[in-house]
Amino acid sequence: MKVKFLTVLSLALILMLGACGKKDADIQKAAQDKLAADSVAGATVTVKDGVATLSGQVADITVKNQAEASVKAVEGVKSVNNTITLRPVAVATPPPADPKLQGTIDQNLKKAGCTGATVETIAGKVTIKGTVPSAKYAECVQVVSQSGAAGIDNQLQKK
Amino acid sequence: MSVQEKYQTLLELANQNGTSYTLSEANGVLHIDGTAPSEEAKQQLWDEYNRIDPDYRGGDLMLNISAGGAAAGGGQHTYTVESGDNLSKIAQKYGTNWKAIYDANRDILTDPDMIQPGQELKIPQ
Repeated sequence: MKVKFLTVLSLALILMLGACGKKDADIQKAAQDKLAADSVAGATVTVKDGVATLSGQVADITVKNQAEASVKAVEGVKSVNNTITLRPVAVATPPPADPKLQGTIDQNLKKAGCTGATVETIAGKVTIKGTVPSAKYAECVQVVSQSGAAGIDNQLQKK
Repeated sequence: MSVQEKYQTLLELANQNGTSYTLSEANGVLHIDGTAPSEEAKQQLWDEYNRIDPDYRGGDLMLNISAGGAAAGGGQHTYTVESGDNLSKIAQKYGTNWKAIYDANRDILTDPDMIQPGQELKIPQ
């Protein structure tokens, strides 16, 4: 009787273990399909004991987040270990010394009605100072941000 | 936290509202250069920027987004139909509705449900 009980127990155990292993493989396949369906490029996923591990290198952080969200949504995934790295972004080449930069910004500020704002350009980095009406504030910052300058030191004040 | 992480919701929004962009980085300053499909989409990005970095004081982002329509000098924007597109989907990208696009392209479309890959559609402003 005891022997029979042990046999049944071990059989059940083997079955359970087998089921678990298969399940991981199934989950992994589902997770891979989900990544492909959500157009996540560059990420690979493995599943062990219901824990999904994401690896690889992707274009930017939005893709990394998307990969995690996609895999989390797969049935059977208990948690996600996201080890994806981000492809280094291009190094912004410092713009060639542009003697016109200051003039262009001045002109565009004037066009946008940002009287009261003054800019100073040193090595492509623009410092904007002065005071402009609140309603104009965002627009005045935009002018500098869109000028092709290497950086901005925003000291502009609102009236 | 990397600059990219700081502005991740901004990048996600750009993906959602159809803004194409490229990233570059120098001296801890993230440059996002791109084109938004409309003035509204561009404004959404600036609103999100303001939410992350109130009054844009951080100096760690150069957000250089032009609005698609404005960049074309006020001229009409055109869109080339890709496989799997429909008018509603295209309209969503440009913040307009399918009827407006259909009406602007009556000369080449006879049925709003029938568009072909490769067709060039005029996108009304």
